[in-house]
Amino acid sequence: MTRFAFYPGCVSKGFCPELYESFVRVAAEFGMELEELEDVGCSGAGVLPAELSDPINARTLAKAEAMGLPLLTICSTCQGVIGGSALRLSDPAHRERVNREHLAEEGLEYAGTTDVKHFLWAMVEDVGLDVVRGKVKRPLAGLGFSPFYGCYLRRPIDVIQRPERKTYLEQVTEALGGTNVDIAGKGKCCGFPTLTINEENSLAMTAKHTGEAVDKGADAMVVPCPLCHLEMDGEQRDAAKAAGRKIDLPILHVPQVVGLALGMDPKELGLSRHLVSTKKFVAQLQPVGAGA
Amino acid sequence: MQITFKFQREGTRAKPVYSEYEMDVDPETSVFDALVGVRETQDGSLAFRGNCSVGFCGDCTLSVNGAQKATCLETVGKTQKDGVIAVQPIRYAPVEKDVMHDVRKFLWDKVNVFARGVVPNGHGPVADEELRPVRKAMRCTTCGLCDEGCTVIDVNLNFHGPAALTKLYRFAFDPRDGVTAERLREGSEVNGIWDCVHCWEATEHCPFGLEPTHLIMETRDRAVAHGVKSGYGNKSAQRHYDSFEQSVEKSGWLDERAVALASYGGLVRGGIRMLPAGLRALRKGKASLKPHHKRPGAREIRKIFERYHRSTEALRKEKQA
Ligand code: SF4
Repeated sequence: MTRFAFYPGCVSKGFCPELYESFVRVAAEFGMELEELEDVGCSGAGVLPAELSDPINARTLAKAEAMGLPLLTICSTCQGVIGGSALRLSDPAHRERVNREHLAEEGLEYAGTTDVKHFLWAMVEDVGLDVVRGKVKRPLAGLGFSPFYGCYLRRPIDVIQRPERKTYLEQVTEALGGTNVDIAGKGKCCGFPTLTINEENSLAMTAKHTGEAVDKGADAMVVPCPLCHLEMDGEQRDAAKAAGRKIDLPILHVPQVVGLALGMDPKELGLSRHLVSTKKFVAQLQPVGAGA
Repeated sequence: MQITFKFQREGTRAKPVYSEYEMDVDPETSVFDALVGVRETQDGSLAFRGNCSVGFCGDCTLSVNGAQKATCLETVGKTQKDGVIAVQPIRYAPVEKDVMHDVRKFLWDKVNVFARGVVPNGHGPVADEELRPVRKAMRCTTCGLCDEGCTVIDVNLNFHGPAALTKLYRFAFDPRDGVTAERLREGSEVNGIWDCVHCWEATEHCPFGLEPTHLIMETRDRAVAHGVKSGYGNKSAQRHYDSFEQSVEKSGWLDERAVALASYGGLVRGGIRMLPAGLRALRKGKASLKPHHKRPGAREIRKIFERYHRSTEALRKEKQA
């Protein structure tokens, strides 16, 4: 299956346009057909109560179901929150209530069959790492990437379903020829959910993760979630200041890293849009075709 | 089997200084009983916590060979690595001596905030089904393993943490309790339920499957349904949750700029906070000045909100009656 109902989420259409653009390019390269969903709501991002986010997400799931396609996300938070709703909606009584109270009026019904997949999962499970490897035109050899999953692609286990999904970032880096730089907090929160609530906590989290990656020799960090990007790219300067140290670690979206290895132009992939400069990192890239 | 027991007595977590003891022990012995054995037969000056030794009290939690464990629930045979069992204090609590942590600071001061017993509301017998979630939370042994895995406590020991908030859940969901809204307001103060980043670590760490992160999320929903504003007692949380909700209600999706501005305290304060990064983002083409538009389907999403408001309003009236 290489066709997907594509759910871009709010942030890839807002403050992280480079995620949307780089993803669309990379997906085309992999032959993934995308039917972008327009008439759908925000997943709720763990901010809206389940009583609101379940019906909103049931509506999204029902639309993908009607198209007969799995739902593809490019944001871990969308993935985790819609996946969580889908899990609760697998209970027939709850689903029936949501259908009756919320979806029926619009003539929609969710039967509970939609598979929800993050791009990272689809790349490993549907495209296949051999295909990915075969398309590498600029191996990322000699570069250290710190995989940062954040929360929603690691837990809870009944939502992510397969434990091996906790290793996909590392597998992708290796397929692209790069080296993984492991940090203790790779599955912890980046700090974004509490940025405006408890800024001190939030910046401390960011400084801890990015600082450790730099100290261990990473050239960049890879994130599957635009909220992690907003935090660790956008707030890194303040986080470094609060921690009283220098960090300067480029934060890359998953499709950007893949696109680079596929030989795409860093500018086309939006690397110049980041708040933490990617210049030094880009200068270390090999020319396209080298060693491939 | 022959085991080398190593106790951290000085140094840091990364560079521990251990005292070592050799002892022959049955692999089926619990790690906790083995540690007691070492203390009784070899060195009476070793300090560590422990109490019931049957997985009831949560007192004996330690870091064992780098992983956090309730030591009475683990066997020596399964835990040892190459014949070694190395114990260190848990990560985020102040240490009193050797591997004995300050359990008051780590847990009890926080749990006790929410420990006031049920205030009877005159409710008759309760159906088993209705009490099931509460009974689940009652199984908490305060082992602290959820706090040990907590992302927020990692940077701020003052966060109440999942163990204490599980105690809050236990009473806030009890149908026989008469002060639910009051409890939910207490839990909504700074360092309470709205400071949780819902990273699901606590759920993963609880050895009894109590899913503490889920419990915190349910407690939040319950607070809102009981008319306790999101982030009550924590103004910035309240602004964040309110503006987020309003944005999705109005347009079907998130107006990031408006939510960020409102969360930081409105146009002036938010503007000042966001200006430096905002300007950089504009210059680099990361942010744009395009106005936020409604999603197709915004009307349908709005209706979902209207139905939700009606049902929570009805619940509130019922509670007041
Ligand atoms: S919720 Fe689970 S992990 Fe947390 S203190 Fe209670 S028993 Fe331990």
